[in-house]
Amino acid sequence: MEQKKVESNAGNWKEYTRVLLPPVRDLHRLDVYEKQGGYSALRSVLKGDKWDPKSVGDAVKSSGLRGRGGAAFNAGLKWSFMPPVDERPRYLCCNGDESEPGTFKDRQLMEYNPHLVFEGILIAAYSMSITTTFIYVRGEYADWIKHMEGELKKAYDKGFVGKNIMGTDFSTDIVIHKGAGAYICGEETSLMESLEGKRAYPRSKPPFPAAYGVFGMPTTINNVETLACVPLIIDRGADWFAGIGAKTHAGPLLYGISGHVNRPGVYEYPSGMLMTDLIYDVCKGMRGGKKLKAVVPGGSSTPVLRADMIEGVCMDSDSLRAVGSMLGTGGMLVMDEDTDMVKWLRRVSHFYHHESCGQCTPCREGTGWLEDLVGKIDDGEGNLRDLDILIDLCYQMEGRTVCALADAAAWPVRYTIDRFRSEFEAKCRASHVATGDLQIA
Amino acid sequence: MSGHGAEIVTLPKINPADAIPADKLVFTAEEKAQLQEYKSRYPEAEGAVMRGLWFAQEKFGFLPPEVIRLVADELGIEYARAYGVATFYTQYYKQKMGKYVLDVCTCFSCQVCGGYDMLHHLEEKLGIKPGETTDDGLFSIQGVECLGACGSAPMLQVTNGPYVFNLTEDKLDALVDSLRSGKMPPFTSVTLPQDEEEMGGNRRSDAAAVATYQTPPVAGAVE
Ligand SMILES: Cc1cc2nc3c(=O)[nH]c(=O)nc-3n(C[C@H](O)[C@H](O)[C@H](O)COP(=O)(O)O)c2cc1C
Ligand code: SF4
Ligand code: FES
Repeated sequence: MEQKKVESNAGNWKEYTRVLLPPVRDLHRLDVYEKQGGYSALRSVLKGDKWDPKSVGDAVKSSGLRGRGGAAFNAGLKWSFMPPVDERPRYLCCNGDESEPGTFKDRQLMEYNPHLVFEGILIAAYSMSITTTFIYVRGEYADWIKHMEGELKKAYDKGFVGKNIMGTDFSTDIVIHKGAGAYICGEETSLMESLEGKRAYPRSKPPFPAAYGVFGMPTTINNVETLACVPLIIDRGADWFAGIGAKTHAGPLLYGISGHVNRPGVYEYPSGMLMTDLIYDVCKGMRGGKKLKAVVPGGSSTPVLRADMIEGVCMDSDSLRAVGSMLGTGGMLVMDEDTDMVKWLRRVSHFYHHESCGQCTPCREGTGWLEDLVGKIDDGEGNLRDLDILIDLCYQMEGRTVCALADAAAWPVRYTIDRFRSEFEAKCRASHVATGDLQIA
Repeated sequence: MSGHGAEIVTLPKINPADAIPADKLVFTAEEKAQLQEYKSRYPEAEGAVMRGLWFAQEKFGFLPPEVIRLVADELGIEYARAYGVATFYTQYYKQKMGKYVLDVCTCFSCQVCGGYDMLHHLEEKLGIKPGETTDDGLFSIQGVECLGACGSAPMLQVTNGPYVFNLTEDKLDALVDSLRSGKMPPFTSVTLPQDEEEMGGNRRSDAAAVATYQTPPVAGAVE
């Protein structure tokens, strides 16, 4: 497959100094965070004469910060879609639903550096004149919600959140919302429905959230990690941020690496790291000296790559697109030679079937068929023809539904079959029914 | 998610023995004030329904229709709305569960790192299948979707509370024993590999329990 050369300075990763999760003991505490220069970005935005709401948005835009929630959309550009201020309340949603299988970085950020997230929210709130920010955290993170609510209260008590922040006339609130177990709530419109106290069915767009968001008001939605980058951009400058990692996907990135590596975990490095560096260097190679078989770069919906496809591939959206995958959430799953890809895909398909909200027929029915058919093949009862039916089914699901869950369910099936076809064929019945032929009973 | 939208979701029949007696079916003045505080966080009362249901579940253990109605009345919202929400989200228990619910992740990373081995070990040890509760009412087990701790696979969550990371069969046995004696596992902070190198271990001095990211075990079963 042809590889696009992507400009990046991530090659110097060994000299990289962490900024999202810097090595500071007890950084999660407000006093420690402040001693480290925390809330100084907010102070300079609110009290200095350098910044106004527009220039903050412009800085974020020119820093090249792209959303860390999966879609990699330019954050500053998204903010600029908010309509002019009028008498209506305006909302920001910080997406901490983190339910995409393979993704576990936001939880570490919420635990170890919650004030960076709050400060990012406050600066974003200033830039977009936000009335209230809802941090939507998945219900399973109950302990981390408690932890963050404690720290949030301290920030309130200090006058960093709430009425007349730092003695200025800027006021904004932060509310932590506890989810209750539904992957779909990570989808932005579903998240808004959930906040409104409804069953979390995604809305069709348009209208987009900036025009008609949560409680019918102008709304912007950003991922936890995206917002955590904002104070850094204000503090150190858009150029500094733009100079980190991959040119077209700049900034620090939290890589959550799981699976068959010797040292899995959340790592902060520049964007655009070589996948091979992450696996063999950062994570100390494959468990038990086994051979690498497959890598999923960024959460369960991003297409899987075979070991022979990752040479020279960097962790940024353009580089991954060139090899037929996506960066997604940066939650990378590494699988060794013993992994049964059919069984693995069966479980992935089960996940999407379980999590489909059921609103759209192609998704509700399609995810069920995907699970059934992959299961049938895994049970040794499939025919070669089922593989083609599966691929066809994927095409019929993609791009035809209210939200992207149907696509997210179809991609793994389509790409895993495509990239590991022989493994699927080996499990199919030695059928005389050739591909595409009519089956004669 | 519990029920696909197109299906008509009904709450399971509640075992009469589990029914909450009418005199217990009340919120205290303090609890009512807490619910009102939740309500005040949102521009519309409905926004507080999820937190309200959580609050009720912590008090009553599960959400039979009469508890859902109690929450709806207290927040001043429609019962049907609260009912719809309670049945949509998987973490709300529609039926009485064991005192300890062990949610073993069998998804994605955990699947390929032994999540099913852990689930099967619990099945054998407790003599129940996923979705069932032991006769003494102490334990329920479930296989669940990704809990957002994939680097510490295999892992589980106890009753919507603490996470237990890097499971082994021995660790499960110890957990079950400690739960039998009424002791919940502590909150555990996971040490970042980079912190280990740069700070010599976990960064939180207030974390009583600490885990590290470890080489995951080889999975015996993947379903
Ligand atoms: C099915 C589905 C699930 C999603 N889950 C999450 C999630 O858990 N966390 C998240 O930040 N974004 C999630 N997203 C992406 C959000 O819809 C949204 O694009 C994102 O939160 C925007 O933030 P960003 O621009 O800062 O990335 C999901 C999208 C879809 C379609
Ligand atoms: S695509 Fe699936 S999850 Fe998304 S709205 Fe339609 S049915 Fe629901
Ligand atoms: S796959 Fe088990 S925690 Fe993510």
